[in-house]
Order: sequence, then C-alpha cells, then structure tokens
Amino acid sequence: MIQFNNFSFKYREGIEPVLYNVSLTIPDATFVGITGAAGSGKSTLTYAINGIIPHCYPGDFYGEVFVEGLDTVESTLTDISMLVGSVCQDIDSQMVSTVVEDEILYGLENFGVARSEIPARVDEALDAMGIADLRERSIDSLSGGQKQKVALASVIALHPRVLVLDEPTAELDPASSLAVFELLARYAHEHGTTVVVVEQKIALLSDYADMLVIVDDGHIRFADSPENVLAHSDELLALGVNCPRSTTLMNELSKRGCYSGPAVRNVAQATEALMEVLA
Amino acid sequence: MAKFLEYVPGNSILHRLNPSVKLVCAVLFAIACFVCSNLVFLLIMLALALTLALSSGFGRETAGLCKAVFAFSLILALVILLTTPNGVELIALPWGYIGTGSLLAACTVVVRLMAAAIPLFLVFYATKMTDITNSAVKQLHVPYKYAFTFTSTVHFIPVFMNDMSAIMEAQTARGVEFDTSNIIKKIRLMVPLCVPLLVSSVRKTNSAAIAAEVRGFNLRTRKSGYKDYPIGLLDGMALGVCVLIVVAAFVVSLMA
Repeated sequence: MIQFNNFSFKYREGIEPVLYNVSLTIPDATFVGITGAAGSGKSTLTYAINGIIPHCYPGDFYGEVFVEGLDTVESTLTDISMLVGSVCQDIDSQMVSTVVEDEILYGLENFGVARSEIPARVDEALDAMGIADLRERSIDSLSGGQKQKVALASVIALHPRVLVLDEPTAELDPASSLAVFELLARYAHEHGTTVVVVEQKIALLSDYADMLVIVDDGHIRFADSPENVLAHSDELLALGVNCPRSTTLMNELSKRGCYSGPAVRNVAQATEALMEVLA
Repeated sequence: MAKFLEYVPGNSILHRLNPSVKLVCAVLFAIACFVCSNLVFLLIMLALALTLALSSGFGRETAGLCKAVFAFSLILALVILLTTPNGVELIALPWGYIGTGSLLAACTVVVRLMAAAIPLFLVFYATKMTDITNSAVKQLHVPYKYAFTFTSTVHFIPVFMNDMSAIMEAQTARGVEFDTSNIIKKIRLMVPLCVPLLVSSVRKTNSAAIAAEVRGFNLRTRKSGYKDYPIGLLDGMALGVCVLIVVAAFVVSLMA
C-alpha cells in the first residue's frame, strides 16, 4: 500500500510548493494512472513514491509518505529501490549499458540476486516485454518503443512490489503506446504489482487503470475509479484534461437524460451503452 | 559503420580477449609508442595496429579514427615544425628555421599518436562497455565508482555528440550558417551553443545518476558482477607480446 498523509513539497530552488497537502491511499496491486496539466505536480508525486524526493531532489518536505510501510524520508533510497522499480521520463539517460542483456543484468547484479536465479530473471523479463529477440542488440540501435520496453524489462526483472513510470509513452506512436500498456497491465495482473503511471494520454489510462488521479496545480482534484472520475468530463476539461470523446458524448447524453448508466471508458463501452439506449 | 566508440559484435581474436587484458595491452602498446622516438619503430607499431584493426574487421572505424587523430596531430606537428629548429636547414624562418630534424620530429608525432590511439579505440569497438567496467572492477580491482564514472563518460560521448548535432540543426533551421569555410566564424557561431549543450548534459547526467541509484548503484561491490572473465592462453600470449613490444621500445630507445 502507498500512503500519502498531508504531504506537501517545495523544491529547494522553487518559490511555491509543487504539491499541497496531498492525502492519498493506493491499495496493493492497483493500476493507478496519474494525469493533469503540464507542471501540475504529477512527476513530483511519483518522485515521492520512489524516494527521489527528498533523497535526490532536496526541498521542504511536509507530511508523510509510506510505501509498503516504509517511511520514504527515514529510509534510504536504496531501501526504497528494493520495493519500488522506477522508469524515468528520459529513457536515453536511464540506460547505463550498451547492450540490452547487460542493461537488465545491471539491477540484478547490484541488488545481489543469486547467480543461479539471474538467467531465469533475465529470460522472464525479456519474455514479459516481448523483446527476447533484442537480447544481444545494441541499445543505440533500438527504436524509442523498444528502448521503453528494455527500460521496463530492466526494472521488472527486479520483481518490484511497486512500479513507477513517468510518461512511459511520451515518445511512442499510438500502437507502441498501446503495446506498452498492454504488457504493463498483464504483468501487473499476473504478479500482483502496484503500478503507478504518469500519462498524458487519458484514453490509455481510462482503458487500463483501476484508479485515476487528477492533479491540478499541486492539488489532488480526483482520486477514484475511472468511471467515477470520467463522469466529471466538464470539470476535467476545465483542468486541462481532455476526456475520451466517447466518454464526453455519453456524459452529454447523460446530462440530457438520455443515458443513466455509469461513465464509459472507451468506444467499446460507449457502443454497448448506446445500443442499450437505442434498444 | 559503428558510431563513435560503439561496441561492434564479432568473433575476432580481439573480441575474444579478456577485457582487462585488452585494456592493459592497449596501454602497454601506447607506452611503447611514447617510450621510443625512432620513426621506423613507430611505423612498425602503426603497421601492427592497422593489421590488428583490419584483422578484427574494424577497417572503416579505424580509417575514421586515423583521420580524426591525423587532423589533431597535424596541429601538434605544425607547432613542432615551427618551433624545433633541428638538422639541415630547409626553410628559413624569422625566428629560426625548419630543418630535416624538425620534419622528422613532426612526422614522429603524427605516427606516434596514430599508433598509440588505434589499439585504445579498438578496445572500445571490440568490448562491451559493461564488460570493461566489470572486468576492471573484478580483475584490476578498480573501485566500481571510478570504473562506472569512466564508462559512463565514454557512454555519454555519442549522446552529447547527438545533442550537439540536434542543437546545431535547430540553429541551422533558424538561418545560422554552420557550413561556412571560415573557421574563426564557425567557432564564433558554435561557442554560444556550449551553454544549451552544457545544460542538457548536466540534466542528462543527473537523470543517469538517479536512474543508477534507484537500481541499487550504492549496493554494488567487487563481487556483484554476474559474468566471469577468465584469463586464457590467448590472453597470456597477447600480454607477452605487448610486454615484448615495450621491452623492444626501451631497447631501441636506449640504442638511439
């Protein structure tokens, strides 16, 4: 479980806090999507989970953040890293090796995973991300989507209890973005991992997330199931979050009294709902 | 052709050598080049280095490297040519002269730098960066932090080169003419680009440091590496040859 208790944070070089009085509980094995306008504090929220705040970016830290019972301020970054696997926004900077297999080995070697266990872990991570054929490839020769999968594989090989990803599809085309989310969701489901993803593409989040968190100007405006959050499409639009068109359409029909069901997440759900309405 | 210092997979003798042995051999080779100033000896060393490069399948990479080292060493050669009046006078200068000795010294510098650089660069083309780090830590007992810093620096050279190209392309799109033949003008145009490059470099290195830390960088010990790097007969032979080359360099140097 991840628990934020009245958490506020101001970067040392900042004038105003980036996050104000955040209280949030993320249950185990939940797929959480965080979204909001640029500069709203989404990434800072994830830095508080993986311990980058306050261990790498110092500042004024108020309140408490617990990850699997570990106080992120009291614990070292290494202790937190044993529980939380992180994939940063800048994939190229994250790569420490030149070859895919070595990149996956890096964390396993550092965390002292038993030698006998390492080959199986590498195979498992490569298979889980569908990149077994890239094993010997030079990282420089990979596309953005492939690098993203390598970064994910290198983290899931460590079997983290929590996976934190900051805009993992920022440089990907729609098909690759979908593939990454599909792989993530399947892995999280099979291993009971909590996944926290910062993502601008709300259509992807609404499809895969169990919980949507909307951050606006340092405040959590919504933190609920996608259906409950997407029901507020007008408010979301005012906050700079553009809901899927199918959701907006059904919400509009709902407002006009033509539809009384829950907010829909995608076109498939909208189609079903419309067919019910028209039947 | 591989990018600058990028590992090229292969199965040549150079690829099969132990990474630490490769590094030590390259350093020994470079030492031999700097110990001896005999041009014939240095030409033999250059021929050896080129043979090694060609036999390992790095002909094109080495040609590119030679071009770069040649351009750099020409500057040094020019300085030597103009400041070391030696031998029979060929051209008179207001402050001295260019002699046969100056010419020989200039040629020696060019050949020496090329011969010394080739094996060092070949190590990077024929060895994965991770293997160099792990092997140096395990066998040469280099502290991991230093080994990682070194390999990260090498790893980031092409990244920063790409960044520089991107910045230059962006400036070119705004009308800056980098393809001018006037070197002074080109330098004046490039100097302001150092600021965005520096900013981007600092940001990238900071991200890389954080990424390494969240993957247990601080837990790393000498025994952490998964792969083993045994030293075989081939490695022993390579070391023996390089030691002999150093001895030969000392002997030739003393005889001169």
